[in-house]
Amino acid sequence: MKIKADLHIHSCLSPCGSLDMSPKRIVQELKQRDIALAALTDHNTSLNCPAFASLCKAEGIQALFGMEVQSSEEIHILALFNELSASLDFSAFVYALIPNIKNIPQKTGDQVYVDEDENILGELDKYLLNSIPLSIDEVAKEIHERGGLVVPAHIDRPSFSLTSQFGLVTEGEWDALEIVKIDREPAIDTKGYPLVFSSDAHHPFQIASRLSILEVDEDFLRKNCVDLSELKEAFKTARCESKPAFSKNLL
Amino acid sequence: MTLEEIAKRLKLKALYSDYENIFCTNAYCSDLLSDIMGNAKDESILISIQAHKNTVAVASLKDSPAIIICNNRPIGEDMIEACKDEGIALFVTGDNQFEVSAKLYACLHKALPS
Repeated sequence: MKIKADLHIHSCLSPCGSLDMSPKRIVQELKQRDIALAALTDHNTSLNCPAFASLCKAEGIQALFGMEVQSSEEIHILALFNELSASLDFSAFVYALIPNIKNIPQKTGDQVYVDEDENILGELDKYLLNSIPLSIDEVAKEIHERGGLVVPAHIDRPSFSLTSQFGLVTEGEWDALEIVKIDREPAIDTKGYPLVFSSDAHHPFQIASRLSILEVDEDFLRKNCVDLSELKEAFKTARCESKPAFSKNLL
Repeated sequence: MTLEEIAKRLKLKALYSDYENIFCTNAYCSDLLSDIMGNAKDESILISIQAHKNTVAVASLKDSPAIIICNNRPIGEDMIEACKDEGIALFVTGDNQFEVSAKLYACLHKALPS
């Protein structure tokens, strides 16, 4: 069966994410847009994933927990875990590696993590949009060793991507590549990697504005957690569906 | 040297005109924002080809008076608006980072170190 998936979403925890993007709001939007599989991927942290996990479970949405890691080369890579504990463990590992540059919310945005009811539980001190001192290959190895999937993010974007930093898609242990420029033929050699599509939403109206249609088994959505081997297979035939980012006025 | 004088000497194009004409004494050249955050001195002009909004966030954190984008890299409206909001001057030039750095160093220092 075909399902809709959005595997790249930011919450209010990312400094560039809107304060409207609580896990509660995100899951409401996902439900409204019929998204069956979703991932929460804040910059260099997964601290909003616990709330995301329980809200998705309550709504019958299959969830992945992860982050958008920034490597030493300033390339963004999605880490996708099917177990919350693995994601939180990786999150603590990554946070410890982030340089100690303090976030200044008035200048760069808030970095708050919340519970299911949008109560603020805490705030992260270090500016999250920074590089950890691991190369993309080291990041990929770390994610795989912890049981996650590795997807270099927005590889066709002119910043924080394989192509912006290296000039091309380099070979590595990638489970898929994320493409964002879908209204034109890719001019980039993607070297045979599966291609996936996600919203990279930072505001509620952007959620699921670009998504992947994945072919999965009938029982994929009924399992207790996402079957990552099956998901990897589904990546190979992913198709893109996109809509203009939903109008703010409709929300 | 003030930003207006620097812009004139280096023939920089301002992306918006009503920037604050700050007196500047230092600059930093890098294309990695993490490097700028870790190593640039506060209040330095930033020289880079990273023509996007995140550069403005970093410039704000470092209290930079201006960003000079090299190689005539295209600059989106969102970067210009972000600079206006933050009160950071934004320039573009066809010169590359080496050329801009050399010229700006000459403007800000009387002589090269011996």
